[in-house]
This record gives sequence, structure tokens and C-alpha cells, in this order.
Amino acid sequence: MHVEAQVRAKLLTNTEQYSQITDDIARPIEAAPNKEWLFWTTISAIVMTVCCFGLIGYLLWEGIGVWGLNTEVGWGFDITNFVFWVGIGHAGTLISAVLLLFRQTWRNSINRSAEAMTIFAVLCAAIFPGIHAGRTWDLIWFAPIPNTRGTLWANFNSPLLWDVFAITTYLTVSLVFWYLGMIPDFATLRDRFTRKGKDVAAGIYGALSFGWEGSARNWSRYEIISLILAGLCTPLVLSVHSIVSMDFATSVVPGWHTTIFPPYFVAGAIFSGFGMVQTLLIVMRRIYKLENYITMEHMENMAKVVIATGTTVGLAYMTEFFVAWYSGSFFERYVFINRAFGDYAWAYWIMFSCNVLSPQLFWSKKIRTSMTATFILSIFVNIGMWFERFVIIVTSLHHDYVPARWANYTPTWVEFGIFLGTFGLFFTCFFLFSKFLPVINMFEVKTLLHRPKKPSGIPEGKKDEAVHAH
Amino acid sequence: MITLWDSHYKEENANRLIRWVMAIDLNKCTGCGACVVACNAENNVPVVGKKEIMTHRDMHWMRIDRYYSGDLDNAENVSVVFQPMMCQHCANAPCETVCPVLATVHTSDGLNSMSYNRCVGTRYCANNCPYKVRRFNWFKYHNNENFDFHQNNPLGKLVLNPDVTVRFRGVMEKCSFCVQRLQDGKLRAKVNAKQTDAGAFAKPKDGAIKTACQQTCPTGAIVFGDLNDPESEVSKLFRDERAFTALEEVKTLPSVSYLTRIRNQKADEVKVNHAEHGHKEEEHTEKHPS
Amino acid sequence: MKSNLIVAKFWNPDTLMDALAEVHHKGIPVYDCYTPFPIHGIEQYMDIKRTRLTIASFIYGLLGLSAALLLMAGVNGGALDLGWDIKSWQIDVGGKPYLAWVDFVPIAFELTVLFAAHGMVITFFIITGYYPGKKAELLDDRQTDDVFIMTIDADKVVRHDEIKQILTEKGAFEVKTTA
Repeated sequence: MHVEAQVRAKLLTNTEQYSQITDDIARPIEAAPNKEWLFWTTISAIVMTVCCFGLIGYLLWEGIGVWGLNTEVGWGFDITNFVFWVGIGHAGTLISAVLLLFRQTWRNSINRSAEAMTIFAVLCAAIFPGIHAGRTWDLIWFAPIPNTRGTLWANFNSPLLWDVFAITTYLTVSLVFWYLGMIPDFATLRDRFTRKGKDVAAGIYGALSFGWEGSARNWSRYEIISLILAGLCTPLVLSVHSIVSMDFATSVVPGWHTTIFPPYFVAGAIFSGFGMVQTLLIVMRRIYKLENYITMEHMENMAKVVIATGTTVGLAYMTEFFVAWYSGSFFERYVFINRAFGDYAWAYWIMFSCNVLSPQLFWSKKIRTSMTATFILSIFVNIGMWFERFVIIVTSLHHDYVPARWANYTPTWVEFGIFLGTFGLFFTCFFLFSKFLPVINMFEVKTLLHRPKKPSGIPEGKKDEAVHAH
Repeated sequence: MITLWDSHYKEENANRLIRWVMAIDLNKCTGCGACVVACNAENNVPVVGKKEIMTHRDMHWMRIDRYYSGDLDNAENVSVVFQPMMCQHCANAPCETVCPVLATVHTSDGLNSMSYNRCVGTRYCANNCPYKVRRFNWFKYHNNENFDFHQNNPLGKLVLNPDVTVRFRGVMEKCSFCVQRLQDGKLRAKVNAKQTDAGAFAKPKDGAIKTACQQTCPTGAIVFGDLNDPESEVSKLFRDERAFTALEEVKTLPSVSYLTRIRNQKADEVKVNHAEHGHKEEEHTEKHPS
Repeated sequence: MKSNLIVAKFWNPDTLMDALAEVHHKGIPVYDCYTPFPIHGIEQYMDIKRTRLTIASFIYGLLGLSAALLLMAGVNGGALDLGWDIKSWQIDVGGKPYLAWVDFVPIAFELTVLFAAHGMVITFFIITGYYPGKKAELLDDRQTDDVFIMTIDADKVVRHDEIKQILTEKGAFEVKTTA
């Protein structure tokens, strides 16, 4: 006989009909934007325009000198923010791809927003390698294209070029994966708007739906390619952050030159990403009243992932210290002692307490199931992971080999502003997404519904009762 | 020496190619700073003003590092070692590997070259330089009211060396071993060799080319030349037992060798405080005769 | 969409599967089904073969891998003569070998994934005929919401009334033939 999707009632509560799922998820899209949404979207858009685009314009006009960087500390907020945002993106792919491969059905209702988060976060991340370069307008030289400069192409030995390939692949593949997942839902919305006589909306979602009609033959192909895409995304997400970590690991800078970086960065990325997913979902389930879809089970599962990855990251911090001592390398030892007790010790201890200590509170079920506590802890995770990248980048650079060239780094208002601006960009994208696109994967959630009730407006069939009996 | 790959410097090329190297005798260096000034003048290094210097954005291609030894608690009684530091033109240059656009690569005559036109300014090379000798153009330093120094007025611009580019903002720059002088010297050698039939591979005579710092050094501490010529003065200095390279353990294989400073002191007068100043350079530079 | 189809509509996926099993058992070929979400196991009743898109993806991946290696070996390594005198332009970068295979691994991997993923998805859209802005051909305006449809090609079967009878018996709330 046919295979039924594994059903766990906890993942979908108070829902009896397929159309009810459509109703619930299409409601925010159909409703006029409420005041709260308008307010926050406007604020985000203003922050995005002024802080992100405005300050980037100022930066391009004046030069990198408007940042607080100097000869010794050549990277500061720019690359910190880059790694921070890429890391946040990773949880989305992890939820959508890795949990799909592991047949974790609890991902079905959160994967859409997690993937959206991935894409917006990677967009924010992609800004920084672009603007951190002194001559942004010449970045086309990264592209391996034949040119008029003889055979001078790109340098395939450079981890920065690996980054370009990794981020491009990651962004485009995630985008395709996300969009592919939305096509059936666009079709659902198209037909819903057609029924309601809203032709403009029906036309827009119709164009986006690529003419999807739910043919079983195409569903069969669709499911296979989703699975293969998930299979491709899994090593991809691991490779992307490994490659990002190689920016540091392949260098000769003490504190960067560490083989532990790839796994350590990947664990950190998952950790920070889940922190961000928690933050967003807690807000979203409250505002859009999606508690029946994003249930306590989801929130608890994510808290458990946060404990696991937070502890992994903590282990990595301690391993680094051990290896610095065990290596006998003079510079390596100094950098780590300086990291914990030097000029930037405050940043190190913020990082350590936010990333290693505070997630341990999730061992308590009371805290795990309290949304206020989870929200606060998830913010701590975000702060801690930002500081992790800051600590790695700045403390390693500011005191490295030659003591004659030791310097401290103080960021300027422009750096703070652009960082704030990327939050504007991120939230503008996310608010627009949550208003105009289906925030929950309707067709996947429908597979979780067991024994649906007969929808209204449909005549009685002969066999209904018999089916329900088995 | 353990290495994962073969060197690009092949023995059979030695007769054909030049390998530019520099030797600096720390015994002779008095730390006067004339080399720094000469370098600034020769290479159109911008003057950036106090504010930028305070934030560690000096543009000097050359600097003089100071290392102290002796009784560090008693400032009256320390001895100091000067180490002129500029781009070491490493054979295994960490900066080259990380540049995504091949703006800094190795030339066949052993220079770590920097093409300003190709540079996009990621600053990755500067981060990865163990000697911290790369300088970034944070702003446009010429024709800019905020930097009202010699590059902002017509008279001041007369000081500029026409053989050297004035760098645009957003690009990296560093010591080039006065590449404009090297190219000029090589060309002259070739032109002269045409008459004497040594062919296209004619090399300039040892000592015919002087870098700006070498030319200016009052004590003659800096010697520059071709390492592939075993008879050149710099080759002899490279074979000297006092020769060492900076941060040898990073295995960048620098083209600059320093000759250890030697002091004629009684052993009991020497109190090296390694606890506070135990850096590698110091260990090299503080070899006291026992 | 093909005309002259026998269309049976169900509101419950289990009922649809039940009817499909019956139709399949009787040897009646199913034209297609239209469902709001994928129903696992539906393929066995519709004689749908496993898609070869996976193989296509693998081939695209190999293509990406070779493209990446050719590009990097050719450009940085000077291993290829692409028509220019590349050999003479091998560049000494940090003393690394020209053919630094270890350095080529990350980009080779990324391009493999890039080609495999995009190639597969593009092929999917080509073979399914979906494209941006395509007008959907619907049998019911709720087939993407909560109505499950089975269609049988009326040209390929005889005794239409008998088939319709079976479908109604098996729980279809509406059975009709499209013009």
C-alpha cells in the first residue's frame, strides 16, 4: 500500500482541513498591511537606505580611510560582519537541507522562513567583501574571464577568490532551492486569488508559479530534485564556511593559522544561525499567530541544537588554547594570552560568556519552553557570535609578529552605521517576505495533516467513511 | 630546509637571470633615518599628517625598528639595536598567495612586484605580511584639501619623481627595491652589451645600481646587488656568518639579509631581559660574544 | 492540456490512492493526477519511472568539475594552450607551484555543486515545460488547495461509463469528461 507521511500531532495543532492551512498561511498575504507591520517595515527601510546605502555611498566617495582600520589591522568590522552574516545564513540551509535528508518532519513548517533568512543574510554578507575593497568598482577582476590584460586572470591560490566562488554558489543554489520550494505555494495562492476575483494578485503569483498545476508526474520529479538539491546543499553549506574559515586558516598570522578553523567555524555558523532563527520565529509566530505551526516542539528542538553547537564552539575555544600552548610556538602562545587578557579581553569574555555559558541555561526545560527567556538567550547568541569573529580577526592582527607594528583598532561611526544598515536591509527583506510570500511551506505542512475533514462546498462521496475506518 | 615544492629559482637560470637582494649591516646602522627620508623622496611616498600617523596610517615604505636590551628598568642604561625594515621581497611571499587578482606577484629577478593598476585593495596581503611593511592608500593623498601637503600644490609637486607613479586611493603599495632604478640599470646594461655582444641577458655591473636608501646611508650599511653573481658584494655578505633573515621560522625566504650587530662588551655587563622583550628579532640581533 | 479526459475529483488523498489502486488493478492506464502536495507511493499506480534527473545532475556535476579544473590548470598552471602563449606567462605566486592542485580543490568543488544544481533545475523546467509566466491549465480551481484529481485518457480506454462508475464507487465526489 501507499506510504503515509510520518505524523506527529505535536507538529501541527488545532488543524483539521487542508484548506485551513491555506487560509492560515495566506491570511497575512491577503489582509491589508497592519499598522505594526507598516511601522517596522518603514523603520527598517529607512535604516537600510540611510545607514546601509547612504553610508556605503559616503565610503565609496571618501575612501576606506573613513573606517578606523590601519596598517596593522587591515580588516575589522567589514570582515567580521561578513563572517557573521554568512554564519547566520547557514542555519537556514541546515534546516531546509540537512533536516530534509534526515527526514526530520519538524522542519516542514520552519524551513521556508529559515531559507529566506539564509538568502537575506547572505545578501547582507555579500555587501562586505564588496565594499571592504579599496576599489570596489574594479571587483570584476575577481571574475575568471578572458580579458584585454593578456593572460592576467584571477589567482586561484587565493582564499578570497575561493570565497567568491563559494558565496556565489551558495547564494544562487540557496535561491533556487528556496524558489523551487515556493512554486507550488505560488500556484496555491494564484488559484486562491483567482477564486476571490483578485486578478492582479492572481496574475503576479501566477507568473511566479511557472504554471504549476500539481501534476503527479511532475511532483515525482520535483521531490527527487528537491532531495538532490538538499543533498548538494549539505556539503555546500559545510564547504562555504570551511572556505570562509580558510581566509584565516591559510594565512601566516598567529591566531589565524589554525587547522581547527573549518569545523570550528561550521559549528559556530550553525550555532549563530539557529540563534537568529529562534529570534525571528519567536517574533513571527507571535505576530502572525502561527503557534499551531511553529509549536513548542520546534522551539525546544532548536534550543537543543543551540546547546549542542554552543558547547562544540566552547570546546573549540579551549582546544585553541591547548594547541597554542602545546605547539610551543612563541607567537601563537602570545596571541592567545593576549586574546584573553590583552587590550581586547573584554570582547573575548563577552564572546565566551554569550557563546559557551549562556546557552547552557537551555538544559532547563523551563527556560527552553519560556519564549521570553529563549528570545533573550537567542539575542545573546547573536551578540556572542559577532564578537567571536571580531575577536578572531582583530586580536590576531593587532599584535602579531613584529612588536614595532602593534596597534589597536577603534571602529568609527561609519562602521557602526553600515553594520546597523545591514540589519535594516535584512529586516526590510524579511518583513517584505513575511507579508508577500507564504512564510510557511503550505504543501509540506499539508503532508503532516492526518485524516482531514471534508472541506465545505464539496458533495458527499460514496467511499469517505470506509476510508476513515482503516 | 623542508619544503613541499620545488623552488622556482633554478640553478641553471642563475647565469641568465638576476636575483636582486639586499644586505643590511646592523653593526653599521646608526638609526639616523636618512634612508627613510631618501625612500620617501625617491618613491613619491605621500605625507599624511599627524592625525593619520596617530591612527597608524603612515605611508613610509621603510621604517627603523628599535629593539632594546640591557637593564630595561633603567632607561638610562639600555642598549638599542636598529633594524631598518622594508619589504623583504620573500621568495615564498605570503602576500602573493592571498591576492585574489594577482596584483602582487614575483618577477623573474626575484622582486615581489606590486601592480597598482591591478590592485583592488582587499588589504589581505597587508594582513598576511609578517613584517607589516605594506601600506594602503586610505584616502586620495594628492589634490586633496584634507591632505594639504606637497602633493596638493603645484610647487610641491615639482618634488615628485617622474619615474614613479603617484598612487591612487584604494591600492596597496610597498617597497619596490626602487624598481625604476633597477629597470633603468638593466636597460642600460643591455644597450651597452649590444655593442659588446653579450646579448639580451647582459647584467648590470655589481654596484652600478644603487637603491635610494643605499645611496643615502651615511655609514654604508645597506648593500644591494645580484645574488646570482657569486662575486658581488651582496653575495659575499649573504655568505657571512653574521647573516640572518627576519622571522626565519615563518619560512618566507626573504631577499633581505641582516648582519647581526656585535658589541664588544664584557659578559657580566650584558643583562638581556627576555621576559619583557623576548622577540625573535632580538634573539638574532643580540648575539653577544662570550 | 490534452482534451477528452475522464476527470475524477476527490477531497481526501487516501480516497484517491484507494481509487488509483483499484484503477491500476483493473489495468486502466492513468493519464495523470493533480494534487496539492506530493503523495508518496503514487508512482507505483501510475507507472511513473524514477526520473533520470539525478543522472543528469551527476553529469552536470562532472562537467562543472572538469570545467573548473581546466580553467584553473589552464589559467594559473599554464597547462593548457588556449591559443595564446600561456606557457611563457606562468606566474610565480608566493613560490607556489604553477599547478597547485591542493589550491584548486575548493573552487573545483564549488563549481561542481554550482553546475550540478543549476543544470538539474534548468533541465527540470525544460522537461516539465514550466516557465515564468506560463498560464496554468487547471481542471479545478482548488486542485492546488484541497482537491485531488485523477485523470484517465478517454481515447485510450473503452467502456467509459464503467470506469466512471468505479471512480464514483471509490469516493470521487465529481466525475466528468472534459471536452
